[in-house]
Amino acid sequence: MLDAKPAKKLVEVKDLKMYFPIHSGLLRRHTGDVKAVDGLSFDIFEGETLGLVGESGCGKSTVGRALLRLYELTSGSVTIGDEDIAKLSPEKLRTKRPMMQMVFQDPQACLNPRMTVAAIIAEPLDEHTKLSADEKLEKVYELMDAVGLNRAFANRYPHAFSGGQRQRIGIARALALNPKFIVCDEPIAALDVSIQAQVVNLLEDLQEQYGLTYLFISHDLSMVRHIADRVAVMYLGRIAELSPREPLYADPLHPYAKALLSAVPDPDPERESGRKRIILQGDVPSPSNPPKGCNFCTRCPEVIPICHEVKPDLAEVRPGRFVACHLVKPDNNTAAGSTGLAEDFEYNQQGEPKQ
Amino acid sequence: MTDAAPQAVKLAKPRSQWADVWVQFKSHKGALVGLFVFLSLALFVSVGPLVWTKDPTFINPDAVTMIKTRNKPPSWEFPLGTDQLGRDMLARMMKGGQTSIAVGLTAMVISITLGTFIGVMAGYFKRLDNVLMRLTDLFLALPLLPLLLVMAMLFRAPLSKAFGPEGGTFLLIVVAIGLTSWMQAARVVRGEVLALKEREFVLAARSIGTPSRRMILRHVLPNVMSPIMVAATLGIANAIITESALSFLGLGFPPDFPTWGRLLFDGAEYIQQYPERVIWPGVAISLTVLSVNYIGDGLRDALDPRIRGR
Repeated sequence: MLDAKPAKKLVEVKDLKMYFPIHSGLLRRHTGDVKAVDGLSFDIFEGETLGLVGESGCGKSTVGRALLRLYELTSGSVTIGDEDIAKLSPEKLRTKRPMMQMVFQDPQACLNPRMTVAAIIAEPLDEHTKLSADEKLEKVYELMDAVGLNRAFANRYPHAFSGGQRQRIGIARALALNPKFIVCDEPIAALDVSIQAQVVNLLEDLQEQYGLTYLFISHDLSMVRHIADRVAVMYLGRIAELSPREPLYADPLHPYAKALLSAVPDPDPERESGRKRIILQGDVPSPSNPPKGCNFCTRCPEVIPICHEVKPDLAEVRPGRFVACHLVKPDNNTAAGSTGLAEDFEYNQQGEPKQ
Repeated sequence: MTDAAPQAVKLAKPRSQWADVWVQFKSHKGALVGLFVFLSLALFVSVGPLVWTKDPTFINPDAVTMIKTRNKPPSWEFPLGTDQLGRDMLARMMKGGQTSIAVGLTAMVISITLGTFIGVMAGYFKRLDNVLMRLTDLFLALPLLPLLLVMAMLFRAPLSKAFGPEGGTFLLIVVAIGLTSWMQAARVVRGEVLALKEREFVLAARSIGTPSRRMILRHVLPNVMSPIMVAATLGIANAIITESALSFLGLGFPPDFPTWGRLLFDGAEYIQQYPERVIWPGVAISLTVLSVNYIGDGLRDALDPRIRGR
């Protein structure tokens, strides 16, 4: 994947905002918003895996769901392929659905307990294709082969499967319509470790086989390092740092990314004993009342006065690396003028480290 | 697992769900007994009159004979005895059962359909929730019997004219009972739907692009079957009793028209002298309710794949 030609953008997110209204008082008046996602901009290139990490409650899942318009966006645009998903009419959106699919977090809850595996996997086919029953069954069998499920299981109900097998069913369902883009919303969080590896490897194999593009949401930093090409670190509804995988894990730039990644244990006991953990003080502020200035200013170990005043924009500070922090200044060798304006980083952002 | 196994299963089509349901239903003893009892009762009231051809409303015109055949205990001529006008109880039980079972089933279907529809709409569509639930509260707050009385007063004559006295009354009673007993089902169903709507498989279906109507039919309704079944089986009993109360108040079927509820009320006056006159219809109503209850129980288990095959 180190060919020089820049990859094509598949998903382009601009200033995505997702606020959930708070109603309170006797009259249930609209008194505020939970700013789950507050102005996110990023691109996902064809064939890559973008990891999305962050602590729980930072808005990762909301981003995933908003991208597929399972929520109505508060503002912003999500362009998948060449159409703005956020503004499509319900009918147009429906015809667009086969392009983008989702793998869910809880393999227990994401399958209808009253449907057989065959019916679950065939549901997208029922909705979007006009295949005959036999063709559908054949396709279902193919999908079951692809995700490593025995064809004899087609007739069973979800409760008869283990978590890993259920997740495979969910993946088969997501694959049924040959999507280009799959949002994996913590697909491995509910599985035990040995099964996690199986599922992640399956996802990687399928990516190779079908040329899929993933948004891989997870809080498992090691797993993201394994599967993602680029990683976005989120904090309180905003992206703190968006960098290619290796530079990010080797040298995180944003103070929050540093703290987060310092929590990854090292398998080498020698290095592990010397590992310095950055322990953040305090709690995450409420997303309904984020601090003025930088969202991270209340806990940042390197905070400076300007952090309390001005929200830092996501800017390209190294080639391919985007950081939203006042402390991290762009290197001189970066393209001049990338001051974090949306137009600028749109042109500069690349899927691979340039080095 | 040999290599031949995948070849073999490739040919086996997924079984129909209803085959599984039947297999599970058969393994539920109570449900089988219930089904047997209910079918026997249905046969008793439908085929019975063809075998036992006595007229249930026949009163001997000869006053002396009539008085002599009043209040007879069971005998070969009158297997269940006679009532206070010398009418044959067995024939009346058969004829009355026809009406009672028909009223019970039809009223139950109406009330469950209405309740489920309103419950699902209120639970699934947030905009309708408030309106529909306040409507439900309104119906719950209405005093049932006076409402039924008013309905009977207003619509009895036009309906009788349109469908004949018996058909008109049947329609009136069934609709009246159905319209006044859907609220519990609606509330229970709404609650279930609200919980169900937040489950991830509904979100998954939305990400596939399933439109609302198919979402409801495919994902929501099958999962709210259990409470609907329970409400339905209880609804039959309720409908039979309400019908008898209505008839007792003179607003249901005419007094000489037998129904199980009617027989019960007629017999209640003589309960100390002739207790069997209350026992027959009482047992019939209880058996109907109980058998339907067990059938519902078995169906509910059979429809739930988690219980099935256990």
